Amino acid sequence: MSHVLLLEPNTILAATYQAAFTAHGFTAVAVSGAQNGIHAIDARQPDVIVLELQLPSHNGVEFLHELRSYPEWHDIPVVVHTSLTPVQTESYVSILHDALGVRAVLYKHGTSLAELVNAVKAQLAMV
Amino acid sequence: MPTGAGDVLAAVAEQLKVPLTVIARQAELAHMAGRTQAADPLLVQTQADAALQLVDSYLLGLQLLREQTQLQLEPVSVPSTIVDIAHTLTRFAKQYNVDIEVDITGRYQPVMAHARGLRAALLSLGYGLVEAQAAIEDQRRRRLRLAMHRTPGGIVTGMYGTYNTICAAQWRTALQLCGRAAQPFGTLAPGSGAGLFVADTILRCMDSRLHVGHHARQRGLAAMLHPSRQMQLV
Repeated sequence: MSHVLLLEPNTILAATYQAAFTAHGFTAVAVSGAQNGIHAIDARQPDVIVLELQLPSHNGVEFLHELRSYPEWHDIPVVVHTSLTPVQTESYVSILHDALGVRAVLYKHGTSLAELVNAVKAQLAMV
Repeated sequence: MPTGAGDVLAAVAEQLKVPLTVIARQAELAHMAGRTQAADPLLVQTQADAALQLVDSYLLGLQLLREQTQLQLEPVSVPSTIVDIAHTLTRFAKQYNVDIEVDITGRYQPVMAHARGLRAALLSLGYGLVEAQAAIEDQRRRRLRLAMHRTPGGIVTGMYGTYNTICAAQWRTALQLCGRAAQPFGTLAPGSGAGLFVADTILRCMDSRLHVGHHARQRGLAAMLHPSRQMQLV
């Protein structure tokens, strides 16, 4: 059973995404911030990380820099699922892809649960 | 520096995406293969109510800005307003696992305020801070305290929680970034923080404003309520 880690500051949305992944046979854990995200990966390495860039205290890009600084976590697939619009992420989407190993960037308010689950499944198929 | 209504509108529009996304995804979840459970009607209702309240408060703020010279001020009991706000916020806060606490000790004279405006401002602030409190990491118990206390300048009414890192300079910067940055008050609220800016807009119409304050070793946002200029003229 594949394991998904969700970094989502809105706890209601996090529970909704968690339920969707569970319905599709995944195990999913949700945390609200970057620090808890690192602790959660330490506790159980996920097969895929779904990341909101707008996190409290440390933003998602800072989290990605820390994540990729650990060699053993270097290849964990990351799907960015963010409230930032494609226009807002346009300027640094190449950094996300090239330097930080992000496989997909989804606009949260325009992405259905089915599309999110499919994006995660696609990452797992690529591993 | 007062925030422009257009900037606040941008923040409100951004904020409204959150409850609308919750409602849309809840509906989708109910129809998802492998699930027979219906969408949570209470969750959908509460999210929709919060969104409607934000729109109403924004429009009220806009109306008060236009009518500022003839604002209908009246004596308002702040403790009863706070208790009413706490009651209204409780259902919303419960969904985010945040406890609402009321801390009012002593007796307080009524303040001169626009009753609907004060209620709308405190409610908008409350919705914004509940979401902010829910997003804070490393907390066993999430609490939002609605409190008031006297100072020589007037009665300070505010909402406080585990926001240890916030300071006045950050709030000033947030007011300048409202509607222009994705996270204008990132150390407090992960999103656009529209509720805070709507509250500030309304309070400014009543000769007050939001400021970073503290109460019983907790930090938060508060407003000083005092006799209005109109009353001093009378």
